[in-house]
Amino acid sequence: MKKMSYVKLSIITAVSIALCVVLPMAFHSIPNAGSIILPMHIPVLLCGLICGPFFGLLAGLAGPLLSNLFTGMPPAAFLPQMMIELAVYGLICGLMMKMIRTKKVFVDLYISLIVSIIIGRVVAGIAKALIFAPGNFTMAVWTTSYFVTGWPGIVIQLVLIPAVVFALMKAKLIPERY
Amino acid sequence: MNKLLAGRYLVGNSLLHRLDGRVKIICLLILIALVIGSRSVSSYAISVSAVCMIVLLSKLPPAYVLGPVGRLWLFFITIFLMNALFFDTLNPLYSWWIFHPSVAGIKQGFSVVVHVVLVLILSSVLTMTTSPTEVTTALESLIKPLKLIGVPTEDVAMIISIAIQFIPTLLEETEAIKMAQIARGARFESKKLKERAFSVFPLVIPIFLSAFKRADELSLAMEARGYRNAKKRTKRKKEPLSSKDYIALCICVALCLVQFLLLR
Repeated sequence: MKKMSYVKLSIITAVSIALCVVLPMAFHSIPNAGSIILPMHIPVLLCGLICGPFFGLLAGLAGPLLSNLFTGMPPAAFLPQMMIELAVYGLICGLMMKMIRTKKVFVDLYISLIVSIIIGRVVAGIAKALIFAPGNFTMAVWTTSYFVTGWPGIVIQLVLIPAVVFALMKAKLIPERY
Repeated sequence: MNKLLAGRYLVGNSLLHRLDGRVKIICLLILIALVIGSRSVSSYAISVSAVCMIVLLSKLPPAYVLGPVGRLWLFFITIFLMNALFFDTLNPLYSWWIFHPSVAGIKQGFSVVVHVVLVLILSSVLTMTTSPTEVTTALESLIKPLKLIGVPTEDVAMIISIAIQFIPTLLEETEAIKMAQIARGARFESKKLKERAFSVFPLVIPIFLSAFKRADELSLAMEARGYRNAKKRTKRKKEPLSSKDYIALCICVALCLVQFLLLR
């Protein structure tokens, strides 16, 4: 993307963090929305794509923390592992968008999204196996919890996030990438 | 949706409400270490008494403090049963099919549940006795050492405080968009997974567009007034810690030391 001012990047990050609190509440009425639709992932991935790795990392760390402070969700026991997972999403998304330039925006977006979704889940699994649930976390549990239960969320992220980026570009709220 | 937020910080004048935000966060971390370090009956007694004392000092209604614990009752039962039935398959009390209940498993399940319940109560007491603005200010002070590795801590604090200010506005806007989409026929409550998943689209895209429009307007206004970054901003003088803050810190450290001595 063409350069946005530091102030605008900061404010977009602040809005993304606020959306990490608001979106899960918006889907509160939908049963199991947290684990199926994964609403907190969307603003973090979007922030990484638009604002870069530092701001993406910050959104990933602060989003779940503020959501816990305001709504109590995610519960304190799951907060550190969720912060790690979302921070990796934001960081990798931003890094990939900086490194990949294929001259086609949607290709850049999809490569960045898919790589960050995979790396984020791998890092979250490693953190869970080594730190949060040592000895109790197997490959089968990892596959089930991160890919089987959350597959609608992954599909929604892959369809929705590029659509939001294009809508924001069309509305001239963020600059065109090429 | 605003009702969900209203349940968090409760205005009050208890000793815990009056403690400095930085001290409360440090004490929370020390007490979490105390709870997680509990292994014997005596150390559990210390941890449980400390948490009960904190709840009493906070003067919060017990129903509010125990609310988050009550909402997770199914999770606690599942965790306890998983540990009790599968933890120790070598020395079971009784074996049936894949279930092997054991004394070690029951102890492990009890320990995990007690740890999570106590940590949950402690963090609830912190958020119910500390306003979000106070938490942000405290976080800014506590993350200051990160400046040494090049993290712009003032900018981080500024971003978090703007995020906090955006939450009520975005909540109202989300509610309005949700109502508008329901009026247009969106089915957020459908039992079919496919319909439920597709109902996300008409809600999320307008929310993002409206939130980014607000971000655009705010950044333009800030730049027009000469704002560049938080480093150049002046700040109100931070109040020093009082004697009650030091006493609270000393008590938490002393409890941790006693726990450590009991473990040896």
